[in-house]
Amino acid sequence: MTPALTLSLLVSAAAGVTLLRCVWPDRAVAWSWPLGTALGTAFGLGVSSVLLYLWMLAFGPTRRFPLVESGLLIVVAIVGLARARWAARAAPPLGSDRAGHPRGYLMWAGGLALTAAVAAFLGLVRRQPHGEWDAWMNWDLRARMMFRGGESWSNAFSSLIPWSHPDYPLMVQSLVVRSWLYAGGETMTGPALVAATFTFGTVALLAAALFTLRSAGQAIVASLVLLSTPFFIVHGASFYGDVPVGLFFLVAFVCLALDGRHGTATRRFAVLAGLATGLAMWTKNEGVVFIPTVVAGILVSGWASGWPRVRRRLVGFGLGLLPMLLVAASFKLRLAPRNDLLATLGIERTLGWIADPRRYFLTLREFVTHVATFGNNGFGSATWLLLAYVLAMGIRRREDDRLWTNTAATVLALMLAGHYVVFVTMAYDLPRLLNSSLDRLLLQLWPSALLLLFMVVRTPEEAASRT
Amino acid sequence: MTSRTRAGLALVLLYALASSAAWIRLAATAPARAGSDEISSYERRFLELRTALPPHGVVGYVGDPDPEGATPAQRNATSLLHFKRYLLAQYALAPVVLIESTEPELVVGNFDPGSRPSLPRGFQIERDFGNGLVLLRRRP
Repeated sequence: MTPALTLSLLVSAAAGVTLLRCVWPDRAVAWSWPLGTALGTAFGLGVSSVLLYLWMLAFGPTRRFPLVESGLLIVVAIVGLARARWAARAAPPLGSDRAGHPRGYLMWAGGLALTAAVAAFLGLVRRQPHGEWDAWMNWDLRARMMFRGGESWSNAFSSLIPWSHPDYPLMVQSLVVRSWLYAGGETMTGPALVAATFTFGTVALLAAALFTLRSAGQAIVASLVLLSTPFFIVHGASFYGDVPVGLFFLVAFVCLALDGRHGTATRRFAVLAGLATGLAMWTKNEGVVFIPTVVAGILVSGWASGWPRVRRRLVGFGLGLLPMLLVAASFKLRLAPRNDLLATLGIERTLGWIADPRRYFLTLREFVTHVATFGNNGFGSATWLLLAYVLAMGIRRREDDRLWTNTAATVLALMLAGHYVVFVTMAYDLPRLLNSSLDRLLLQLWPSALLLLFMVVRTPEEAASRT
Repeated sequence: MTSRTRAGLALVLLYALASSAAWIRLAATAPARAGSDEISSYERRFLELRTALPPHGVVGYVGDPDPEGATPAQRNATSLLHFKRYLLAQYALAPVVLIESTEPELVVGNFDPGSRPSLPRGFQIERDFGNGLVLLRRRP
């Protein structure tokens, strides 16, 4: 089964990378293999998930899907190769601020942290091959119901089992079903491989983005922090949807950063940011909140960039988002029952919650506590560590990143504000929900927050050359 | 590099070192093989029952422990255990939809091994799988 599972991952990643290669705006910026591979793998996971969903709507979860998907990959690869050959002549060089080489000790530390994190991930998966509670009562249960259901796969969305959240979007579950279709049967290695791809794919993308946009040393330091955030690895191995949605948030942020630098020459990065935002919505319901916050972030950046550019970005973003809106709408209208959180809301009760100042205070207190202690590994919390790090290294923001940093900071702040409002106005058992969900919501934003921070903080290479 | 920036990098390295040490400890104490965990063991208990169920449809569920107790804490604990066993049964028996009800024709009984459960009224044991697991059918 393992070779077939590996093939499932390779097909998805290769399809994503070649598709991205096909649409890469070579006239604006040269193709970068590290960044293109990391971004393409994430897009490939999304494309595979949507393809399987559409396939299931037409034919159910049948064994022919891997053959058809692999055939499509071959077509895409031929087009991608032809385009790459053409672009090799036309591409201008990539403009980055890479300078000098990272110190050897940083490379060693990065290697050690990655090895230790992979070993821990494997250990956690051996300890809990079915993941944590929400994994087997929700994500893997839905995957099983679809895979085992055959022609009756849509019974997986029965409203008779509302506790399993049958309205949740299908990214993770469909990728698990896909892995089993490739393997020819159920194996818990399938969900483990999906979880590992999302977890270490996030690290790879953060590193590749910072390597391309800042420096190698910066990429290693940021990866060290992410790999050393205990909850990131532990939760990644629990097979929940939070790390996957965090990856698509990060993809959107990276595409917006590329758009910030090269947006005057091409609209394609804005389109890709829209697509990534749509894929986040296809992963978890929190992705729905992400859409208006990104739009607001782009609008806020308009004060600095001027409205014509904002209009351009918004149109591109909307074009990328639209296909995923249609896919998500078809799922919500055809298969998904009503969301349990919304279904249990009553106007009187909600108004009572809104008017209750204790809920605001409790939520605020928990937000402050959880943010301050996030990533605590015994040595200290990641929040305080990074605060000290920024004070030590200093800030050096590139002028052409100003647009993006405004957008990114606005989006992150609005996401936190959005979660705050949802807790205050919708949570039935507020203390319990804050306790069980807040760290997961922070984790979704963590890789993107690290990207923002390491895009503006001085790199180790710059610090070394300052003396 | 100034001493301040050196200190900043050292902090990150120490943070990473602390986590790496914890990861290595965690990996070293992991079981050699997967499958000895609670969920896998619980699932194996349902293997035979799963083959006796229809390929899809709705099946009822009754089981231990009753969600009761002398104190609220005990009631919470038994409720949680009852719910967890129901969830695990649903996870093991997918794709049938398992509902906590005796309305369907077939009902899964998931009791403590060795206990003598009282069957729901109007039902008879269709098959006893041992270990507290029975399939009940409504009497004609």
